[in-house]
Amino acid sequence: MNSLLMRYRSVLVLIVVLTVVTMLIRANTVWLDTSVVIAIYSLIALSVGISYGQAGILSVAQAAFASVGAYATAIVTARYDLPAAVGLVLALLLPPLIAYPLARLVTRLNALSLAIATLVFGQAFDIILREGGDFTGGYIGLSGIPPLPFASGLLQFHFVAWGAVLIVAVLLSNLIDSPFGRATNTLRSDTLRAVADGVNVPHVRSAILAFSASVAGLGGWLYAHHIAYIGPDSLGPSVSLSVLLMAVVGGAQTVLGPIIGAALLTLLFKFIPSQEVQGMFYGGALIAVLVLTPNGLMGLRTVIGRWMKSSATKRERATANVATGVSAARRAS
Amino acid sequence: MYELLEFSSRGVLLGVTYGLLAFPISLLFIATDTVDLAVGAYAVLAGAVAMFVGGSVNPAVGILTGILVGVLASAAIGSISLMLGRRQKGDPLVLVLASFGFAIFLESVVLTLFGKDPFIRQPFTYFWNIGGIRISPQAGVNVVVGLLLIAAVYVLLYRTSWGRDVRASANNERAALLAGIPVRALRFSAFMLAGLLAGIAGVLVLYTSGMDFASGMHLTLAGFGAAIVFGLHGPLRGFFGGLAIGVVETISAGYANGGLASLVPLLFIFLVLTLGRGGRQGPAGVRA
Repeated sequence: MNSLLMRYRSVLVLIVVLTVVTMLIRANTVWLDTSVVIAIYSLIALSVGISYGQAGILSVAQAAFASVGAYATAIVTARYDLPAAVGLVLALLLPPLIAYPLARLVTRLNALSLAIATLVFGQAFDIILREGGDFTGGYIGLSGIPPLPFASGLLQFHFVAWGAVLIVAVLLSNLIDSPFGRATNTLRSDTLRAVADGVNVPHVRSAILAFSASVAGLGGWLYAHHIAYIGPDSLGPSVSLSVLLMAVVGGAQTVLGPIIGAALLTLLFKFIPSQEVQGMFYGGALIAVLVLTPNGLMGLRTVIGRWMKSSATKRERATANVATGVSAARRAS
Repeated sequence: MYELLEFSSRGVLLGVTYGLLAFPISLLFIATDTVDLAVGAYAVLAGAVAMFVGGSVNPAVGILTGILVGVLASAAIGSISLMLGRRQKGDPLVLVLASFGFAIFLESVVLTLFGKDPFIRQPFTYFWNIGGIRISPQAGVNVVVGLLLIAAVYVLLYRTSWGRDVRASANNERAALLAGIPVRALRFSAFMLAGLLAGIAGVLVLYTSGMDFASGMHLTLAGFGAAIVFGLHGPLRGFFGGLAIGVVETISAGYANGGLASLVPLLFIFLVLTLGRGGRQGPAGVRA
C-alpha cells in the first residue's frame, strides 16, 4: 500500500491541485482556456520528460510529433467527416510509427546522432507541410476542425485535457517504477553499463522515443480540437524549444516537473509584450536554467533539502557544543 | 546537358557557402566533441548586420562589423559552454540543447532588430560567359575565399602548436590537461574561430542567395550535412561535402519542385546517419 502511495504521490498531488484550481476557475472562461492550454503544453512537455528526462534522448522535434497528431485528426475530421475518435487513434499511432523506425535506424549507438535526426525530421516535416498542397493546407493550414462531441463546452474540455494529463502521469509513474524504466535510467547515465546489464539499447531508446511521440501526438490531437485550426507555424520548432524549456525548468526527470514548467511558462508568457521577442525570452531562459539549476525547479528540492540538512546538522552541532560547554563549565565549577 | 551544367555551376556557388558552414561545425566537433546548432544563426546575424551597417555606412565596414558580431555571438556560446562544462561534467547533449536555445534567441534578435524582409545583396550586375554558361563573378569570389579559408584552417589545425593542442585536448582531455595544455582556453578560442568562419560564410550567403531571419536552422543543417557526408573528422572533407550537397540541391531544384529541393540536404544527413558513418567514426555523445 505504502509503495503504491509512493509510486503515485505525484499523481495524487496533481489531483488535489486540480480539484482546488477547478473549483476556483470553473465559471471563468478566460482562466478555463488558459488551463486547457496549460494541459496541452503539459502533455507535450511530459513527452520531453519521457524521452529526455528518463532516457537522455534529446529530441528537438517534439512539437513536430504533436503536429503529426494534430494534422492527422484535422485531415480525417475536417476533410473526411470521420469521428474525432478515429483522429485520436491516428494521433496516438502515427507519431510512434514515425519515431520508432527513425530512432531505430539512427540510434545504433549514440545519442548525438539521434538528436540531429530529430532535428532533420522536424525541418523535413515542416517543408512537407508547406509543400503539401491541399492535403495539408500548405502555408495556410487547415481550419474548421470540429470540437469534440463529448466536450463542446470549455469546462468539459478542461476535464478531458487534464484527464489525459493524469493518464500520462500515471503511465509515467508506472514506467519510472518498472524494470523497463530502471533500464531506461541506466541507459541515460551510462550506456556501457546498460549494455553490460543486458539492456537492448537501440530497442529501449527507440521504444521510449515512440512512447514520448505518442504522448506528444495526444497533445496535438487536443490542440487541434481546442483551437479548431492547425498550420505549419502552430506547432513549429519554436514550440519544440518552449516545451523543452518547460520540461527543463520544472525538472525533466520527475513526473510533476514538466507540468509545473508548462504552467509557469504559459502564465509568464501572457506577460510577454510581442511575438517577436518570444524567442529571446525562451532561448535566454533555457540557457539560464541549464547554467543555474540543471535539474529544474523540482531539482531545487534536493538542493533545499541538502541545505536544510546541513543547516540542521550545524544547529545540532552548535547545540551539542553549547551542551558540552555547559557540562564542562559545570564540571569546572 | 547545357542546362545541367548551368545548374551545376549554380550548385557550386551555393555549395561553397555550405562548405564554409561545415568548417565551424567540424572544427567545433574536433575541438569540443559536440555540435553547435547555432552556427547558422551566427551566419544570419553576420549577414544581417553586414547588410544594414553596409547599407548605411559602407559595404566593407558592414562586412567587417558583421563578421565581428558573428565572433561575439560565438564567444557568448563559448562562455556558456565553459559554465556548463563546470556543472554538467561534459555531457555534450546539454551544450546541444543550450545551442538550440541560443539559435532561437538569435533568430528572435534578428527578427526584432532587422525585420522579416529577406536580406540580400547582389553587387555584380554583369555575368561571366564561360563556354556559353553564365556565371556570376560572385562564384569566383566564393571559390577564392573558400579555398583561402581551407588553406588557413588546414595550416592552423595541422601545422601550428595551437592546432596540435586543440586536437590533443579533443582526443584525450585529461592527458592534455596533464601535459599542461590549457584545455578550457583552447575550447573558447575554437568557438571564436568557429564564429569567425560562420560570420564569413554568412556574409557570402548574403551576397549569393540571400537569407531571412529564419534561415539559421536551415544553414546549420546544410553545414552539418556537408560536414558529415564525407566524415566529420576533417574540415577539408566538409568543404567538398558542401559542394556535393549544393550541386544536388540546385539540380533537384531545377528539375523538380523548388521547395522540396530544400529536403535534399536533410536526406543527405539522414542517409549518412542511417548508414552509420557518423557512428563508426565515433561522434560525440555517449560512447559505447
